[in-house]
Amino acid sequence: MTSADGDIELRAVSKSYGEQVVLDRANLAIARGEFVVVMGRSGSGKSTLLRLIGGLESPDLGVVRVAGKDLGALREAGRALLRRSELGFVFQFFNLIPTLTVAENVELPLSLNGVPRADAHRRSQELLAELGVERCAPRFPDEISGGEQQRVAIARAVVHEPRLVLADEPTGNLDLETAGHVLELLQATCRRRQATLVMATHGREVAGLADRVLAIRNSALVEQPA
Amino acid sequence: MNRLLRRASLRFFLRHPWQLALAIVGVSLGVAVYVGVALANDSAARAFELSSAAVRGATTHRLLPIGGALEESVYVDLVVRRGIPTAAPVVTADVVIAGRQGLRYPLLGIDPLQETGLRGFSSFAPGGSSDLARLITSPATVLLPDTLAARLGVAAGDTVTLLVGGRGQPVEVVGTVPAIGGDVQVEPPIVADIATAQELLGRPGVLSYVDLRLSAEQAGELAAEPPAGTALVALDRAGGAFNELARAFRTNLTALGLLALVVGTFLIYGTMSFAIVQRRATLGMLRAVGVTRAELLGGVLIEALCLAVVATSLGLVLGHVLATQLVELVLRTIGDLYFSASVRAAPPSPSIYAQGGALGLGATLLAAAKPALDAARAAPAAVLRRAELEHRARRGTRIAALAAAPLLAASAVLLLLGSSDLYMAFAALFAVLAAGALLTPAATVLLMRAIEITGRSVLQLPAVLAVRGVSASLSRTGVATAALAVAIATVNGVGLMISSFRASLSDWLETTLTADLYVGFDAEGAALGPADVAAIEAIPGVAGVSLTRSVVLPTDYGELAVRGVRPGPRGWGLEIVSGDAESALAEVAAGRGLVASERFTFARGLSVGDQLVLPTPQGERRLPIVGAFRDFNTGDYSVVMALELYRQAFGDTSLTGIGIHLISDADRATVERAVREALPAPTPFRLRSSETIERLSLEVFDRTFKITEVLRVLAAVVAFLGVLSALLSIELDRARELAVLRALGFAPRQLLATLLTQTGLLGAAAGLAALPLGATLAALLVHVINRRSFGWSMSFVLTPGPLLTGLALAVVASLLAGIYPALRASRVELGGALREE
Repeated sequence: MTSADGDIELRAVSKSYGEQVVLDRANLAIARGEFVVVMGRSGSGKSTLLRLIGGLESPDLGVVRVAGKDLGALREAGRALLRRSELGFVFQFFNLIPTLTVAENVELPLSLNGVPRADAHRRSQELLAELGVERCAPRFPDEISGGEQQRVAIARAVVHEPRLVLADEPTGNLDLETAGHVLELLQATCRRRQATLVMATHGREVAGLADRVLAIRNSALVEQPA
Repeated sequence: MNRLLRRASLRFFLRHPWQLALAIVGVSLGVAVYVGVALANDSAARAFELSSAAVRGATTHRLLPIGGALEESVYVDLVVRRGIPTAAPVVTADVVIAGRQGLRYPLLGIDPLQETGLRGFSSFAPGGSSDLARLITSPATVLLPDTLAARLGVAAGDTVTLLVGGRGQPVEVVGTVPAIGGDVQVEPPIVADIATAQELLGRPGVLSYVDLRLSAEQAGELAAEPPAGTALVALDRAGGAFNELARAFRTNLTALGLLALVVGTFLIYGTMSFAIVQRRATLGMLRAVGVTRAELLGGVLIEALCLAVVATSLGLVLGHVLATQLVELVLRTIGDLYFSASVRAAPPSPSIYAQGGALGLGATLLAAAKPALDAARAAPAAVLRRAELEHRARRGTRIAALAAAPLLAASAVLLLLGSSDLYMAFAALFAVLAAGALLTPAATVLLMRAIEITGRSVLQLPAVLAVRGVSASLSRTGVATAALAVAIATVNGVGLMISSFRASLSDWLETTLTADLYVGFDAEGAALGPADVAAIEAIPGVAGVSLTRSVVLPTDYGELAVRGVRPGPRGWGLEIVSGDAESALAEVAAGRGLVASERFTFARGLSVGDQLVLPTPQGERRLPIVGAFRDFNTGDYSVVMALELYRQAFGDTSLTGIGIHLISDADRATVERAVREALPAPTPFRLRSSETIERLSLEVFDRTFKITEVLRVLAAVVAFLGVLSALLSIELDRARELAVLRALGFAPRQLLATLLTQTGLLGAAAGLAALPLGATLAALLVHVINRRSFGWSMSFVLTPGPLLTGLALAVVASLLAGIYPALRASRVELGGALREE
């Protein structure tokens, strides 16, 4: 499976945890701006795939290229630089920093990228307003609801205009109505910024929104009809 | 405890050996320091008791001279006229072994034939009666302590030279004296026949005292009608001043040992909390599957008990080893300050091991109780939530800060109620420390808030994260910060007290040592006439002299050193601390009263205006106390009166000291030579400069505080381990949060810097909290503890040195403790940390 304009490229990637083989010689190419959903049962390796793409884990074998860079050739500091500039993460449990306010959580990626404070503040406020959680800005994560926390997490993932957003079960911890709303927001926000969105989920309803749907079966990555 | 719970607990510790080691080291160190100090104290105390008892034997009373000398005729009078057969004459003085200036031994001159009924000295001589016979019949013969003989490499028949009053006196060793008894490790004195001792000391026909074994009836009769110029004292009253001082010194050390245990308890709390934090999820699961609160609480406490048994046993062994080192320091200090006899450690009492064991077990269970209760009390879901813990910690911080107020009030009440009680003072000091510990977490939160507000415009988010991280981890850092603050406050407080004390001692020495050269004579005094004194005054370069006669009198207040002084051109050399200085000294000069050392007035509850009753050869003499003077001497309590008044009251014209005041351009060496020539030939004397006396005094002072330095270091080590365990706990708590930061693009080095900044801030907060706490502690030590322990008043000098050292120590200890957890956190495998969600 290849793509001419490969923003993400996996070549013969294998990953095991002990005896358990999660991915076996997987190949993948995702073009810039695509919305790709990765489906599979719990423990099938969806999250592992996202962590490999995000450089949070290294493959046992094979090559992972993101934004034209071979992650295996980068040192940890280089991978950190890539993550802070080109990637955004959305997690199932939101993972907001509890000691930072909502606004500060969103400003964090900008701060790491050296964006001046006033500019970072303005951009975070705009984005929070765009996502409808501007009133949460001065509050701490444990003072807002789960749905609000996930919107803040989306804001944090896209505020620095990354090429790629990796979302691991972003709606898994939300009720159905909130989940639908968050999903729409995530997709729209990425689309407006032409960011590639790779989402791991086991909800079939998301598949209908995606450009492409992948599944992991028996350690193999297979394409499914959208 | 359920079998599976027990197995889970055991496996947890086996899988986390470092944490297990940390907990064991924490408890062990706390117990070791306490036991080490207690053992050293006990051993030293017993050694001195045994030393005293060995020399005292079955003696019940001692007949002492009231000023002047005790003539041998008094002894004859006792035995022959009064029919007291159990009387033994004694001559004693300290001698130095020639070529071994540091070796100072008591020379005890006895009449071996009279000793049988009182002491077992005859059993000293392995050769039996032949050695004793030689001791009596041959002049200049002695029995050396066997340890001294071995040290000097001499045996029977060899000759050693004793320095008496600065002059060498060769003596023949006729035998050695073993330690007295089987388990008693007391260095016996150098024993000589009384005639030999008198000859060596240049005191023919003069005794130091007569030891007696008296029935109550005999004692009553003799006390009512003592021989002229003597007084009878019961031996339990003798040496009161130094016994009190030695006891106070040991009390201070015990308090320091207890302090180490308190800091150790903090550490135990930290490590036990850490063990709970690490298993919060597991404990939550256990609660969820039906384990009751009581089962959980019991399980954690049994776990703590097992840990305590292992750690306390180790602590007892470590304490024993520590004691062997500390006891030398304690003995040297007490020997330096209060005794001149050489004493070796005695085997300590086994009850101390039991005390240490009970303290270790008790402290561990107490420290583990809170985390165990936290784990048991929480609802199953809440055990899983760290936010709940932090919420409780914030509430706890507020409650703790409020609880500090009654503790401070209690401290004030304790100080006011027991105006001279040392134990009350220590209780007040511990209450202040506890209040400081309770206030520290709240102060830390306020400090972090202040940093955040003032640095709002400059702090980048990683720095904000570090600042907030300190307050946000209160459930972990609160106790560690408090422990660190208490440890550093102790370092600060003791450091400030020592620097204040040293400064006061130095000032006092400058005030007291008005002369440039001092001639010292034996305690018996030198018979110098006005012509001899005039000859010294006439030496070119001498501006004038001060004269002193010092005698130790048995009084109703215990033994009291009475000093008759004729001041030199630079005055009395007394710093009056109670009463008007000018009028007090004028009254003394006019012979209308005396000034007393503040140690004496404090210990005996006397004040200016009180009448002091002194025994004189003419009967009791009442003299008013017109002032109290500062006195850092550690020997007998003392009073000073005009030399003329002393001579008139005691009929004794001899001198024990002459202070020689030089003109500014005098050639000191020439004057020293002339003084030596001017003094009558047979008079043994010692000539020392004021600089030498000052240097020696400060050397003794510095040695005295060596042991407190050891204890301070140990307290700091325990606190360091507390911080380390707290930081490891935070690292575990925040593993996912830190992984998220890495996922967002924090480079490992950046995360390391953030975590170390947080650690440094934590240390700085503890160090800053320790500044006022340490200063308060020092003020209490200077103005209350030292006063009540030793009767010394001193100036409180708030020097920045010890405080800044404490602050730096707090930051450096925290940073060092933070390196390992921060490195671990920055290198964590991201996939694993995020996968755990």
